[in-house]
Amino acid sequence: MKDLSHSPKPSGPAYWRSLDELTDSPEFRQWMDREFPEGATEAPTGQSRRDFMKIMGASFLLAGAGLTGCRRPEETILPFSKMPQNYTHGVPQFFATAMPSRDSAVPLLAKSNDGRPTKVEGNPDLEFGKGGTDSFTQASLLNLYDPDRSQKYLKGGNAVTRNEAIGALRMLNGQFKENKGKGLSFLVQSSSSPSRHRLEALIREQMPEAKWHAYEPVSFRTSVQSCSKVFKKSVRPVPHFSKAKVILSLDCDFLGTEQEAYSHIRGYADGRRLKEDENHHTTSNRLYAIESLLTLTGSNADHRLRVTSGQVFSVAAALTEQVFDQLHLPEDEAGSPIPALRSSLREKAKGVTVDEKWIVESVKDLLAHKGECLVVAGHRQPESVHQLAAAINTLLGNIGHTVTFLEDTQPAYDSLAQLKQACDAGEVEALVVLDGNPVYDAPADFDWKATQRKAKNVVRLGYYEDETSEVADWHLPMAHYLESWGDARSGDGSYLPVQPLIAPLFDGLTEIEVLARIAGSDQVKPYDIARTTLKSAVGENGFEGQWKQLLHDGYLSDLRSSAVDAAEDDFDWSTLTQNLSQAITDESQSGTASKDALEVVFYRDASLDDGRMNNNGWMQECPDPITKMTWDNAVLISRRTAAEMGNIKNKELVEVEFNGRKVQGPIWIQPGLADFSLGLALGYGRSKSGNVGGNGDDSVGFNAYAIRDSKSLSFGTGAKIRRLNRIYDISCTQDHWSMEGRAIVREANIENFEEKRDFAQNMDLEAHAGHIPTDEDGKPAQIYEHPYKARPSTHSDIHQWGMAIDLQTCVGCSACVVACQSENNIPIVGKEQVANSREMHWMRIDRYYSGNPELRGNVSNLIMDDEQAYAEWIDDVQVVNQPMLCQHCESAPCESVCPVNATVHDHEGLNVMAYNRCVGTRYCSNNCAYKVRRFNYFDYNKRPIDQLYEGPLASHSDSEIDLIEMAKNPDVTVRMRGVMEKCTFCTQRIEQAKIAKKVEARDSGDVEVADGTVKTACQQACPADAIAFGNLLDPESKVSKLKNDPRNYAVLGFLDTKPRTTYLAKIRNPNKNMPDYHTMPLSTLEYTKNMGSPFEAHGASHYAEGHEDGHAVETKTEGGQH
Amino acid sequence: MSSPTAPTSVKIAAPPREIEREPLVLNNRSLGWISDQIAGIIEGKTPTWWWVTMLISLPVMLMCFTMIGYLISTGVGVWGLNSPIAWGWAIVNFVFWIGIGHAGTLISAVLFLLRQKWRTSINRAAEAMTIFAVMCAGIFPMIHVGRIWFAWWLFPLPNANGPIWPQFRSPLLWDVFAVSTYFTVSALFWYMGLIPDLATIRDRCKGFFGKFFYGLFSLGWTGSNRHWSNYEKAYLLLAGLSTPLVLSVHSIVSFDFAVSQVPGWHTTIFPPYFVAGAIFSGFGMVLTLMIPLRSLFKLEDLLTIRHIELMCKVTLATGSIVGYAYGMEFFIAWYGGNPYEAYAFQNRAFGPYWWAYWIMISCNVISPQFFWFKKLRTNVVVVWILSIFVNIGMWFERFVIVVTSLHRDYIPANWAYYSPTKVDVLTFVGTFGLFMVLFLLFIRFLPLIAISEVKGVTNQADPHHPLGGAKGGHH
Repeated sequence: MKDLSHSPKPSGPAYWRSLDELTDSPEFRQWMDREFPEGATEAPTGQSRRDFMKIMGASFLLAGAGLTGCRRPEETILPFSKMPQNYTHGVPQFFATAMPSRDSAVPLLAKSNDGRPTKVEGNPDLEFGKGGTDSFTQASLLNLYDPDRSQKYLKGGNAVTRNEAIGALRMLNGQFKENKGKGLSFLVQSSSSPSRHRLEALIREQMPEAKWHAYEPVSFRTSVQSCSKVFKKSVRPVPHFSKAKVILSLDCDFLGTEQEAYSHIRGYADGRRLKEDENHHTTSNRLYAIESLLTLTGSNADHRLRVTSGQVFSVAAALTEQVFDQLHLPEDEAGSPIPALRSSLREKAKGVTVDEKWIVESVKDLLAHKGECLVVAGHRQPESVHQLAAAINTLLGNIGHTVTFLEDTQPAYDSLAQLKQACDAGEVEALVVLDGNPVYDAPADFDWKATQRKAKNVVRLGYYEDETSEVADWHLPMAHYLESWGDARSGDGSYLPVQPLIAPLFDGLTEIEVLARIAGSDQVKPYDIARTTLKSAVGENGFEGQWKQLLHDGYLSDLRSSAVDAAEDDFDWSTLTQNLSQAITDESQSGTASKDALEVVFYRDASLDDGRMNNNGWMQECPDPITKMTWDNAVLISRRTAAEMGNIKNKELVEVEFNGRKVQGPIWIQPGLADFSLGLALGYGRSKSGNVGGNGDDSVGFNAYAIRDSKSLSFGTGAKIRRLNRIYDISCTQDHWSMEGRAIVREANIENFEEKRDFAQNMDLEAHAGHIPTDEDGKPAQIYEHPYKARPSTHSDIHQWGMAIDLQTCVGCSACVVACQSENNIPIVGKEQVANSREMHWMRIDRYYSGNPELRGNVSNLIMDDEQAYAEWIDDVQVVNQPMLCQHCESAPCESVCPVNATVHDHEGLNVMAYNRCVGTRYCSNNCAYKVRRFNYFDYNKRPIDQLYEGPLASHSDSEIDLIEMAKNPDVTVRMRGVMEKCTFCTQRIEQAKIAKKVEARDSGDVEVADGTVKTACQQACPADAIAFGNLLDPESKVSKLKNDPRNYAVLGFLDTKPRTTYLAKIRNPNKNMPDYHTMPLSTLEYTKNMGSPFEAHGASHYAEGHEDGHAVETKTEGGQH
Repeated sequence: MSSPTAPTSVKIAAPPREIEREPLVLNNRSLGWISDQIAGIIEGKTPTWWWVTMLISLPVMLMCFTMIGYLISTGVGVWGLNSPIAWGWAIVNFVFWIGIGHAGTLISAVLFLLRQKWRTSINRAAEAMTIFAVMCAGIFPMIHVGRIWFAWWLFPLPNANGPIWPQFRSPLLWDVFAVSTYFTVSALFWYMGLIPDLATIRDRCKGFFGKFFYGLFSLGWTGSNRHWSNYEKAYLLLAGLSTPLVLSVHSIVSFDFAVSQVPGWHTTIFPPYFVAGAIFSGFGMVLTLMIPLRSLFKLEDLLTIRHIELMCKVTLATGSIVGYAYGMEFFIAWYGGNPYEAYAFQNRAFGPYWWAYWIMISCNVISPQFFWFKKLRTNVVVVWILSIFVNIGMWFERFVIVVTSLHRDYIPANWAYYSPTKVDVLTFVGTFGLFMVLFLLFIRFLPLIAISEVKGVTNQADPHHPLGGAKGGHH
């Protein structure tokens, strides 16, 4: 291994290595000890800037003493006597770390500005996810600086010192050491941390009687459990979407709310990207989705079947039976379970009310791609559906190709129900609740608040003082992952470090610290724990090298959890048969959804997860990728259901009753939803959250957990709706659903595309501009000369920035939206402001529904947006997504109308905003055809969002604002009220790259930034790699190549604003034999109705014909006569 | 003082009845009567209705200032604006008031150049209305910006930050020049016209303050030949200068819209259509104000039915031009073949804001058509009511243009709905308070009809008239 203490190359991110390396000189340590008294390490109680600085100073001491060794010394308090190597004040540094997520983790590079983390990015070196992230990860940074996070150690609700609380942990050890842990129970969440598993094993060894329970309100363990059963070994299936040519999803939102969606998106996008096969046919993967809610997966699917969640099992049975049928397997041997299995499948499939052809043709397609297709089942579906998916994958030879298996590293835990029993029986002397929030999210029939009280002593480690803390004897504040040492495993089993960038702001503890103390271990510092864990895995030999490697690279692929060699032959058909017949018997009692017995589906929210992001403003304000709703959840319902229930209006408040429990929420008529299914997002309606999520009656949204019982954790049938005759205001960022036949998002089927590859350039008014004179390139001639041509001095011939967004791979996950918010200090504005379309997101994802034009025909495009929820065409919709951000037009309409020259063009093609110069006439916004400019109607950065209208009288909590300000990117101006702002193409990143390049170039004059050096925040976060940004003058740059793609088009190109952001048209890959096949995508059909087919030559193409007729000269000069 | 009846000693053949014009001052009122009547308004006791109106207007005006204070201290967000509707009532009100401000200068300058003698009875009040309306209008572009304290950056002033100039391509900047020029010239013109009358009042004044202030502002006017000669020349020059401004101001205001690329705004018809609309609304407002004043101050002989009729005819003509423009917009939206443009106009008439559109059509296109009938345009009550409809309609025209175009433009994902807040409404209502306070002060302290000019159009001043010439020309 190379010596890492030498400085890395001057360009590119500087990865951090162990800090004590830098500061661990004896003189320095001695000096430090003298300089700072002990008090500097004490936990502060407030959170003002001053306190923050104190902590920073304190952490310097810690760092110096090698306690956490996690941060740069903070210069504000203490000037360096010796400058650490490779550190320049103000230049951000990057550290490899990981964000733990249930039983996985997101590998990250976190950015640190002078000791304070300001941005997280995916770790691009890791094959898993390749640097993509999801919105949760992007927003996790804000949690670190959440003023509402738990800051104190509490005993019975009263603040105690840290030492006292730690003493209580030690006492637990003393208390239970004797009786082998009898009466001690742990309630944990899923975790992939090898250290936690090691400490758990340690405690299990010492206290074998202690009970371990795990509970996840939204669990992704079903696939592991069910596959382990049918494959007869502990396996964790890993789907490889990139290798699958045909994907069938059984209620599996792998592009949205499943675990590790960001890596699935990467794989899916790789398969989705257009390729040419050996016959020069364009190919792409094909996605079939069977689901009840309209999810991102369904909205990206080529064929989508909407059935209630309860019916998915039947459809899966029908599909499996169809696979057997079409496979024409040889006669079964005697004793084979297959005939029994098939008869149960047939029985189950009888309940299906879907088009037979759908099943037959989709299976035919799967069979045509044996070993290259993939069937996935969603986490909400029961084990039997997962087993059927595994069975199909086995039958189709996908095992080992598109599905592989890893060893499942998570130890076995008891369930929450068992803990409830123990509590009820009074057997629990002490209950240790590590994270989680069971009082809020446990099944309603467990009445966890009362149950937890039955435990004699409850010790709770929590990030917030929440519902669970209220009924805990001890509450310990938990450290954020950016302030604590630890380790984790990514979805592909790689060993990841959880490396802190800052000392715990409020002196919180980590899970492993708590466990170490309960274990009575001598080693209680998380840093040491994590090192020991690694040491136990790699051995003493070469450990330091491995450790450094781990921290430097952010992963150790050598320590990947081992692959399990499960083959088709391992599939145990008898287990499947037994499980299935059992499941079918159990299922038969639940009945099908109908008007009188509706189905409720509890789903993981795209913004708040299971409620853990409830107090995160970025997530609350991030529009749901499908509904575009912010700051609320709703009772999602299909149009037909709403109509049949007595014309329930959109936004009407209703009471949902399920198994005797009731909850009130607003109706949201959602296109594409299965009839008689109600979608209820989890994570809202907290009784004790914070300033963002609200408490009790002020809380955001309603609590769907209130009606979720242990029998129907994911969905259940038998719900009723009672209308309350009240309207509830919902803040939705996109009121209009249809594209109205406009060529905003341009799409074609793959066969249309092969017919005319540049169809996207043959759409909208620019295609109908045949009478406009052209220039020598055949493009419409300019009345005014391009300013760059007219004045060459204003034009850089080194860099011209541009962006291309591939709509083919963009799935609409919204990670970019949050990444942009984090990078560019974009404020949140609150529900009320969003209701008035004042959200500040520089980047938004426009989502359009398109319906069958035959149904759409009678619907006026002039109706109020509120009325569109009642039109029939919305029942089965196709969905398109389009990231929309400043297009950086070369002839920017915003620039010429600004009376004070506040928005101007720079010589590298950026449309820049001079905030200082802006007076706020908002004319630029009016004249922007894309409406991507955002105006600060209030002092969003300075005033609490619920007091915006109080102006100077609004309360101004300095300390609160100060803490939140720590999350701000120091390279980006924080805007005041009255100024306009918008996407800058992350100009700060461009400048940093240019400066670095100039420093490197010195006298050589080679100052051109290499392609890929500058990544915009949205591009970097994009798990699909759908965004390309770079230098247009470099013909080899990725963006230049994409712009030469025939699919490349400019939105509203006919306005001749010459946008620098262009889009690559979306190509759908439907199956011609499917019953829901359309000759063109529905939006293109709609367009064709108004403007003519883009696949036929017209408009601009007439023009080309003119050239052939020998009228070239005439055409050029007198195009008007054409 | 002349006797009210005509002397009979000289016999001059009267022109035949059918070609004789109706006199502009009825009942053969003498020149002295005119002076007494108009100056009497200032000299007499303040009428009770004046106090009542003032006491209503003052708090309304203060409310306007309060709202502006709230706006400045808190942010433009107190209005209902959003994205995409970044301009709302403020701009609507601005264009509305500027439009009203058109009649005054048109009446005083254009009609002066066209030798329309009937202008004399109404020009003074109309000009005052113009100035006050432009003041009300001027408030809005100033306060609607996000950072009001930097609004002066719109002026091309040299500054310490290097050569940062305004963007000369921006119609908002043109607005700054157009409106300020218009205001300055209108105010000058108005004041110039006031000088002889101020001198008349000064001469009749008894109190010290009156003598002092009227004396100060009449600039030593003696009524000498030289004064009159200079005055007439200057008046003609200013009229010449003002005339293009009448056309330019609203043309430039219309550029705020026409120069942009918003469907529904981006139309070449805007400049003439806006000017016609402005004259239409201006005359509407003049009628609304003058009809009550005429009866309150017993000015029926000076502000005759003929005046009202003539104004009705201008209203009818401009109203019809506006109606034609509405139709032409739709025709072009269809004929132009641009679906975005076509949608914008369909959406105006049948989209979520259909009600605003049809209020506009009813008030602006239908209501002036009643003026085809002599019976209706000579009925002051009917005219007054219709003039109010014209005012309402013209406000809605601006609302339709500003809001309905913005709320659904190119990209459907941006579409939204705009509703004003209380602050929007109260600020607008408040400007009426400001306007009324200024206008009430005007009618109380300044001659609301141009005394000297009205005298010039009486029969007595006409040397060819039996009453005129050397015989009756003393006063």
